[in-house]
Amino acid sequence: MTGNGQGRLSSGNFGEVRLDGVTKIYEKDDKRQTVLEDVNFLVERGKLTVLMGPTGCGKTVLINLIAGYEHPTAGSVYLDGAPVTGPGRDRLMVFQETALFPWMTVYSNVTFGCRVQGMADEVIKDKAEVILNKVGLFEFRDKYPTQLSGGMQRRAELARAMINDPKILIMDEPFRGLDAMTRELMQEFYVGLFEEIGRTNLFITHEIDEAIFLADKLFIMTYQPGRIKAEIEVDLPRPREFHMLASSRFMEIRNQALDLLYEEASKAFASGSKAAFDLVGALMASKDKCKRCE
Amino acid sequence: MGENGKGGLDTLPESVSSQHRPVAKMGYLQLKLFKRVFNLRTARGFLSVLIFLALWQLVVYVKVPYLQYLPYPRQVAASGMTAVASWQYWADWGLSLERIFVGFIAAQIIGIPLGLAMGISKVFKGFSFPLFEILRPIPPIAWIPLAILFWPTRELSIYFLVFIGAFFIIVINVLQGVSNISVSLKWAASSLGAKPKDIFWRILLPGSLPSIITGMTVGMGVTWNVLIAAEMIAGQGGLGRATWEAYTNGNIPLIVVGMVSIGLAGYLSSTLVRWFGEKAMPWNREV
Repeated sequence: MTGNGQGRLSSGNFGEVRLDGVTKIYEKDDKRQTVLEDVNFLVERGKLTVLMGPTGCGKTVLINLIAGYEHPTAGSVYLDGAPVTGPGRDRLMVFQETALFPWMTVYSNVTFGCRVQGMADEVIKDKAEVILNKVGLFEFRDKYPTQLSGGMQRRAELARAMINDPKILIMDEPFRGLDAMTRELMQEFYVGLFEEIGRTNLFITHEIDEAIFLADKLFIMTYQPGRIKAEIEVDLPRPREFHMLASSRFMEIRNQALDLLYEEASKAFASGSKAAFDLVGALMASKDKCKRCE
Repeated sequence: MGENGKGGLDTLPESVSSQHRPVAKMGYLQLKLFKRVFNLRTARGFLSVLIFLALWQLVVYVKVPYLQYLPYPRQVAASGMTAVASWQYWADWGLSLERIFVGFIAAQIIGIPLGLAMGISKVFKGFSFPLFEILRPIPPIAWIPLAILFWPTRELSIYFLVFIGAFFIIVINVLQGVSNISVSLKWAASSLGAKPKDIFWRILLPGSLPSIITGMTVGMGVTWNVLIAAEMIAGQGGLGRATWEAYTNGNIPLIVVGMVSIGLAGYLSSTLVRWFGEKAMPWNREV
């Protein structure tokens, strides 16, 4: 049954993304800002890679380069060995704030990719039914995005990407702005989908617990210029369950990551960034929380 | 006592049921409608109109200085009744509405594509926007003399003035609407395989629709201002002209009838635009 579902949800053609010496510099008037500097990393085939870093470190720019919305100043992005030159259906993104089209129903949103590709209506209908049932939105297919809750919107967006069976799914802080309860449910739902289908996933977040809970591999970025600072293998067993958040291995990884992040956040803080100020506060709070649960 | 008790039991259910009967008889929808029409809010609104009429009556009655030419409400009502019965009155309505809609629709047909083009192409915007911004602050009424001079017929001049009244507003709103569409929507669409024509028809156009409707609503208000001024100065027939002629003939009740008619016509036109907006944007409807 799972095998059948898997077959219909994905052809198993997963991609591998490699960044090779990627540098991104923005120039406006006389100002030059190096956002990314010599970034090298690999998003492994069929793995869930999480990218973490303080706000303003260039995470979003980095995934915009992978998606092909922007181009690197130097270096290259490769998908399965071929350089990325522009946006494509093989690399789909779930955006930070919802990017559902407000004037389309859930059904039209989800089938958008198929329709602009000129697929036959019956084929689209079948595909949509499978995917909408998968994300639990079949009953809501005729609703408009504003009529959905935050969690439902994210699921619709996931469906809109997954129906196209991309080689890599890029999630840009997708659960930001959801309430704590919905967020946990969405994390569980998302990790379950990943464990069932097993696509290459790149997940951006600045929440450490979320990062470790989801990741196979965790990359931590530096602040201004953005670089890959460290790589942590998350060897927690799958399927992931929430009780693992209390395991000693989880705590070990968490402390390791926190120390690295704290360094970066303090650097950002020293440079006077407002976002970093908030982050340092958040990290202090989570360090305290950590002590309490020990 | 037994009889009393029995009687009490007999009458009680009857009185209860008779109290509830009218409501029970009324269907659910009728009840809803009834509640919508006869509620405290409408009562307040109705009362305010009554107070206004009473004050009006009083002002005329005590002959307040400077307002001595004001007719009584009932004189206006009588004048209105005669007007409504006349063929001429409805011809004026028709003429004004025709002028509004010709000018207004022409402004949309030319203004919406222009605004879209300015929003999409930086090059085109670079050429057209400065000129547009030089002309935009000129009040439409200031165009009246030139419009009369330029156009061969008076009717064409009035169409043109109405057009000006709606044109700049729609263009600026469409332009704003296009530029306000979030870049992530365009990115998402292009990632999903949308070609430029898909992006235009499925993203940019529906995305700027709310601004288009706003531009239409505001523009419709302005066109009535412009039309009435133009009709008073240059027109032949129409509600504005009729009001002006009532003035030159010294028929004061008819002036007020004209004013009320213009207000009503403006209100109806705006309602039509709003209705169109609701039809065109089902996703914006409150749920």
